[in-house]
Amino acid sequence: MMLARVADSLYWIGRYIERAEHFCRLSEVMLSSVVDQTDSARQAAHIVLSAMGEDEVDAEAALRHPMTSVRNITLDREEPGSIVNSLSHARENARQVRDQITTETWERLNMLYLRITSPQADMAFSHNPSGYLQEIISDLHLFKGAADATMSHGEGWRFLQLGVYLERAQLMARLLDVCFGDAAGGYHLDEHFAQLSVLRMACALEPYLRVYGAEIEQKHMINFILFDPEYPRSIRFSAARIQELLTGIGSQIEPLDGPRPERLAGRLRARVEFADFEEFSRAGASAYLAIVVAECARIHEAVYETFVAYPLEERLPA
Amino acid sequence: MDRALAATPAVPLGQDAMYDEMFEAGGEVRPAYAPLNAHVAKLSPAELGDRQKTLERSFLLQGITFTVYGAESSTERIIPTDLFPRIIDAPTWTRIELGLKQRLLALNMFLADLYGAQKILMDGVVPRDLVLGAPSYRREMVGLYVPNSAYANVCGSDLIRNETGEFMVLEDNLRVPSGVSYMLANRDASKRTFPEAFGAARVRPIENYPDLLLSTLKSMAGEWRSNPQVVVMTPGVYNSAYYEHAYLARLMGTPLVEGRDLVVHDNMVYMRTTQGLRRVDVIYRRVDDDFIDPLTFRRDSALGVAGLFNAYRAGSVVIANAPGTGVADDKAVYAYVPDIIQYYLDQDPILPNVETFLCRDPSSLQHVLANLDKLVVKAVGASGGYGMLIGPHASQAQRDEFADKLKADPANYIAQPTLKLSTAPCLIDGAIEPRHVDLRPFILSGAKTVVTPGALTRVALTRGSLVVNSSQGGGSKDTWVLAEGDTPA
Repeated sequence: MMLARVADSLYWIGRYIERAEHFCRLSEVMLSSVVDQTDSARQAAHIVLSAMGEDEVDAEAALRHPMTSVRNITLDREEPGSIVNSLSHARENARQVRDQITTETWERLNMLYLRITSPQADMAFSHNPSGYLQEIISDLHLFKGAADATMSHGEGWRFLQLGVYLERAQLMARLLDVCFGDAAGGYHLDEHFAQLSVLRMACALEPYLRVYGAEIEQKHMINFILFDPEYPRSIRFSAARIQELLTGIGSQIEPLDGPRPERLAGRLRARVEFADFEEFSRAGASAYLAIVVAECARIHEAVYETFVAYPLEERLPA
Repeated sequence: MDRALAATPAVPLGQDAMYDEMFEAGGEVRPAYAPLNAHVAKLSPAELGDRQKTLERSFLLQGITFTVYGAESSTERIIPTDLFPRIIDAPTWTRIELGLKQRLLALNMFLADLYGAQKILMDGVVPRDLVLGAPSYRREMVGLYVPNSAYANVCGSDLIRNETGEFMVLEDNLRVPSGVSYMLANRDASKRTFPEAFGAARVRPIENYPDLLLSTLKSMAGEWRSNPQVVVMTPGVYNSAYYEHAYLARLMGTPLVEGRDLVVHDNMVYMRTTQGLRRVDVIYRRVDDDFIDPLTFRRDSALGVAGLFNAYRAGSVVIANAPGTGVADDKAVYAYVPDIIQYYLDQDPILPNVETFLCRDPSSLQHVLANLDKLVVKAVGASGGYGMLIGPHASQAQRDEFADKLKADPANYIAQPTLKLSTAPCLIDGAIEPRHVDLRPFILSGAKTVVTPGALTRVALTRGSLVVNSSQGGGSKDTWVLAEGDTPA
């Protein structure tokens, strides 16, 4: 049992943290791609920009000044999705629930926030952009590690994790759609370099190589990022965690209408646990991924209706 | 050997002699400071600087900050803190403790009387219009039952030390006094800054403050709820004391709620949890009276809970401090506190007041106007160091302007002599210099009254300044209260 507002804040910390980490990784891959002046590198950079939500025109413009665009994605407070904004939102939410998270957890995030918003951030970034992004990623790992090691794994921690995994599932679905969906025109990641880059964006390269070896195939990539049961960023892995977390949170209360969040999570989990590449192909990549994204969005809504923004009159004592 | 501290002149500010916390008039170190002095003397200025930096860094990481809004972006600054503790020996503290208990007991009796039979007004000890006309007097409180007659459960009084070294009460804070988290954070830091000196000095612990606060709050509901649900209520994350609200909630293990988390139904207060509505029994509110309930107090308040006061009235929830306690820390009522102690307890006040002129009295007004260059004039309703004139430090134009205000609304002002606050050594830009300090101890009152053996020492960081408020460039330092026994060698 915890305050609804607090659960909401913890959930959003998880989402923002995950988004920041993913964007760091995308930006880092983009930086190393633009060094190569090949078509394949260009394709990788394009994937990054699309995965961040840039449209065709903006992506073309950004590709002409890749360094500036990565700088903006990292440090520009005017960009709604920038890393600095995600981290600021996460930290603002953490401040709201400062009494609910441990000091170790809070200090990790606060330190990261102070560094990325300091007047020296721009200089530190320009000095070594890649190193700067990698450092943020490892600080975020420290944050997650501190949360894992010092917070009680109770309701609050579950809401935090729920935010992480819901965001992760949606980000990965988006990345797959950008690479293999209808807009991309099917499976066009022919070049080894582009394939490698996408695996790095998904933080999947090393675990992938261990399973499939260095001969990268698009079919295997999709299989891995969507359906692998052990790789922690696969949609299947996230869906399993989402369902477990929601079952753990539980609720003594029936939602007013519509199914309970854990039931929706079970449905998503079953969808990715028992599907395979054939089913994915038959449905069409974009159509299949759209269903995954829509189910994540429904879980999000159901979590809100059940735990956070429920109508009071239904909950008053008789 | 006393390279670091003894080089400090005892009377450095070019004014009349004043009391220094660490040095006697002849420049010798006071016995209570001996262990600290012995230890600090071993450190080079660079080492002291490093320790100060470590201290500031730890405050920044913990988020003990306030936000400064600039033209380009907002930055966070730590509440300035000084590494040298201020030390109070056991006999001095005993007197402070007794004095504070006596004072709070009398003030709580005064509040119970004001919202009850009003005997003190009938007996003409305190002028009726002074109390009943004060905006902080809450008519809504008349006749309400308050357990233990403890209206002010948390009190933070401001004490100062005059030139003879005697502690005096400058102000009582019975509304929502803050600063206790800085007391605890300073202690945590000073233990790490001077561990050897801390051990040698035999300092009394203060770390159980959150437990004491929680049991004080629970004792207010103990009569009808066996395990009452306590919550801390904050105006929200943008409040300058938010760090403290979160800190206390965390250390007491209670939810930190905002007005929007609470609902009142059938005169019961509930909080919105993930598992539906849960009953709330005690609200330690850090929100001013005006903002707790838009139905009873200010209608434009978005911070409060509609119907909260009615639930309080019905006795189903405790609000701590009780609404309406502000009338007893009013700056004009302050002048009557010695009489109030005498009236209810038949005792002389242990801690004296500072001499105060009430400008509502025509002869006092004449005196104040004639001596504006020597006095400090304060608006009765204001706090935080705003709306005041420090005569000796003001220009003639400022004094003339204030004189007009005084003549226009004399009842709104009081005046006090400019105090020679005691000084304590501080590390300022790498050098040790004396700065004026005051003392804010914290008193808890529920089923019983407890004074925490420690305090927040506030420091006026600007050279020669007498204003210690953090909103006006003040800082703080840890306060060591020594245990009974032999004076440490």
